[in-house]
Amino acid sequence: MKTQGQNLLFLLFLLTSVMGYSQVKISGKVSFKNKGVAEVNVTLKDTYDGTTTDAQGNFTFETSEKGTHIITFTHPKYENIERSVSIENQDVSLNVDLKEQISEIDAVVVSAGSIEASDKKRATALLTPIDIYTTAGADGQISSALTYLPGVQKVGGTEGLFIRGGTGTESKIFMDGSLINNYFSNSVPGIAGRDQFNTSLFKGNIFSSGGYSALYGQALSGALMLESVDLPDETSYNFGISPIFLNAGFQKLGDHKNYSYGATAGYSLLSLMQKVFKFNTDFVEAPQGFNGDLNFRFKTKSGGFFKYYGMFNSNKMGVRSESLEPGYDFSLVKLNGKNTFHNLSFRQKFGKYLLNVGGSYSYNRSDLHFSTETNDIESSRSQLLTDGNYLNFKAVLERKINRISAVRGGIELNNTDENLNFEAVQKHYKDLISSAFVETDLGFSNALSAKIGVRAEHSSFLGKNNIAPRFAIAYRLAKDWTTSFAYGLFYQNPESKYINGPANLGFQKSQHYIFQVQRASEGRTLRFEAFYKKYDQLIKTFNVTPDKEQNQQIQTALNNDGYGFAKGLEFFWRDNKKTFENIDYWISYSYLDSKRDFLNYPVSLQPGFAAQHTLSAVAKRFIPEWKLGVNLSYTYAKGRPYYDIASTFDNGKAINYTRNEGRLKDYNALNFSINYLPNIGKKDAKSFPVFVLSVSNILGSKNVYGYNFSADGSRSSAIVPPVNTFVFIGAFISFGVDKTDDAINNNL
Amino acid sequence: MKKYLLSFALAFVSLTAFAQADYDKIMTEKIAKIETCKTPEDFQTLANDFQRIGSKESTKWLPAYYAAFSYIQKGRTMMRDGKMQDLDGIADQAEKHLSMAQNLAGADNAEIHLLRKMSYSLRMMVNPAQRYMTDGARAAEEMNAAEKLDPANPRVALIKAEDVYFTPEQYGGSKTKGLEMFKDAQAKFNAYKPKTALDPNWGKAEADYFLSLPAEKAK
Repeated sequence: MKTQGQNLLFLLFLLTSVMGYSQVKISGKVSFKNKGVAEVNVTLKDTYDGTTTDAQGNFTFETSEKGTHIITFTHPKYENIERSVSIENQDVSLNVDLKEQISEIDAVVVSAGSIEASDKKRATALLTPIDIYTTAGADGQISSALTYLPGVQKVGGTEGLFIRGGTGTESKIFMDGSLINNYFSNSVPGIAGRDQFNTSLFKGNIFSSGGYSALYGQALSGALMLESVDLPDETSYNFGISPIFLNAGFQKLGDHKNYSYGATAGYSLLSLMQKVFKFNTDFVEAPQGFNGDLNFRFKTKSGGFFKYYGMFNSNKMGVRSESLEPGYDFSLVKLNGKNTFHNLSFRQKFGKYLLNVGGSYSYNRSDLHFSTETNDIESSRSQLLTDGNYLNFKAVLERKINRISAVRGGIELNNTDENLNFEAVQKHYKDLISSAFVETDLGFSNALSAKIGVRAEHSSFLGKNNIAPRFAIAYRLAKDWTTSFAYGLFYQNPESKYINGPANLGFQKSQHYIFQVQRASEGRTLRFEAFYKKYDQLIKTFNVTPDKEQNQQIQTALNNDGYGFAKGLEFFWRDNKKTFENIDYWISYSYLDSKRDFLNYPVSLQPGFAAQHTLSAVAKRFIPEWKLGVNLSYTYAKGRPYYDIASTFDNGKAINYTRNEGRLKDYNALNFSINYLPNIGKKDAKSFPVFVLSVSNILGSKNVYGYNFSADGSRSSAIVPPVNTFVFIGAFISFGVDKTDDAINNNL
Repeated sequence: MKKYLLSFALAFVSLTAFAQADYDKIMTEKIAKIETCKTPEDFQTLANDFQRIGSKESTKWLPAYYAAFSYIQKGRTMMRDGKMQDLDGIADQAEKHLSMAQNLAGADNAEIHLLRKMSYSLRMMVNPAQRYMTDGARAAEEMNAAEKLDPANPRVALIKAEDVYFTPEQYGGSKTKGLEMFKDAQAKFNAYKPKTALDPNWGKAEADYFLSLPAEKAK
């Protein structure tokens, strides 16, 4: 009986399990917005049963389970869905609709007006430090490399980023959020200053040619936001040598990778090259400079991160040029410049909040001496001494709302204190600009996002306030295609150099409308941008009769009655080793139509810094067999207009008029550079040299940047580059960091 | 009554045994599929299968391990087709399953470290220039950890060989050196006994494949 009972039980068990084996088919379709979704994991919860949807979103599987069960639908890009089903003997059919999961990776990014070069944008990143170093003609300078992107004009004789019909001072450069007041080195009139900051100091950057974020201000045209590197990857030493400079530096990384410090120093002198090349500019004192920098970075125990960077730069030069004034043979200008910049920033996460605080101090001194030379006798010198102290403080608090939405707000203080001494003239200029801003990123879906911000500023010098709303929206049209639109108001104080007398001034204003269509796919970027920019309240000036020894005009601000516009179309195409093996190339073209009535312009004119057509092309190729990188670049810019404007006074009212005007010849430059890395791949190598040979303007085009006119306007001389064709050779050697794999991976 | 209980218990044992057999059966079946998968879609389907098994067998590390492995293989297939942009998302998925596997198997599992290495390598390929120092370094760390934990592991030897094989000669890699290392991996495969039938045992075919390449191709 006992056994019988057991048998019975066994039979029962067997029966149920056999019955259980009768299969039921479960099928259906998974969709999102009426389109089938592939690769969805369909699972009958707590069983092995389930399947994956096919390309049309259909699924079907069999199960022997019975009763009420839960079916789950999972896919990383969509929210998980659970459905309860009752499985009896009949086949089950069910269709489900998925909800999109909003994620940082898939969300569309507002890109109107801005080009990001950081890892955030992944494969489509533009102009990383390595890109800049390998762009022929850029001399390793960030600002020069940017002239190969659409929207940035190649101007020449003056430093600064000339963006979409804006002057060089209408763009601002920021480091970790703090304004860099003197990004460029001091120079003499007609020769552009150089970038004072080392390109490899920055791990990424966002270059905005308009419509930029409310976090930044005081730039009518655009902004370049540089992001400095965090901790270095390894301890390293490096030095560089070339006929024009010598430098050395080190970076030490703490054992626990929680702190680092480093320093570099360099000296440069152009005199050796002067003997080799025929210079257009007669340097009576060859440009020479000394620079050094210092940094430390450390992480606090609670996850905060401090970064300090400080630099010092001094440079000297003397230039002699034929005098335009009768009675003198030559005019001379000598420069003694000094600059220092210190930036301390701190950031920390507190739960959902991210705090970023930064302060910077900079001091800049430009000591210019003007004189004339007649019959080899130098006249007495007149001195133009300017020095400025700049303090900047910025605090930003950001709170994440969900995966892709955030709100951030903060304050910024900018204090300027400048002194100018010229003969009997002594000017003291002081201004404190206090700003508050708030901005929100709104992610509605992965295909639609917006950025809304507002910035308010008060200038103590002007005694005025402004409120600047900004808005941008991005929409994904198709998988690789996005479109975005940006609008914003931008204000900027008049430049202090024009404030030489009493005038009732206010903020200068611009309005940007930018529309962009972009296609970004693996290794390829295509973008079209159309923009319209309206300027109001630009300052108007008149000329103060220039001193005869310095043929530079001095202008004085009169009022804010200036206005203008700029509109244009831009095209950019980059193909990174996708079509041609090992070849990375890009082409950019900008069409610009701009007119302004500002400064001393008598009427509305095409500004002297705005070329109508600018075309540039860059190509780079690495040849692994020869351990050699070959780079080419070409720029064409249609000839810009030039003006000689003078002022007369009628009943005490200044009237400006054009004495001379014309058009420059078109600008052309073909540049070439090669990098040779002999120790690449030598696993046991201790040093990693990189040899560079670059030739700028290899065809020797005689480019002209503008004209200077004599005080009476009867004589003129061309402003030309210091040298037409320049050859640079140099060696950069680093120890401690194996750049081998770096180079390989760069060029794979 | 006592007997009744016993038989009940017996039935239960057989039931669990049955379930165990089911697990072994389905795992064996799915593991066998690894070799036949070719397209990213194939690997995704397989990853889903392992995920499904893993959600039922939430105490076993192997389903999560194989889910991660399927994702990595999917990524490697895409990498070969030059589709680098999507690798981050795939590495995210792989790493999600790897942490599950690691929670269950412990931190000293060489196989998991090796998959982590492979996942970081995928991430690096998205933007080698910028990521060499971060993801590349992490990949190297994971490789070292795996090798330290299990020097005899043939998969560690295999992946190392692959790295050398695909690195151009100018950069210190070489096909000849790579082939030597594949031989080493092959020897390790021949000596290797997985702990259980289900434990990781992939890779031998790959080593064999490289070693079977005609000599001129291997140059």
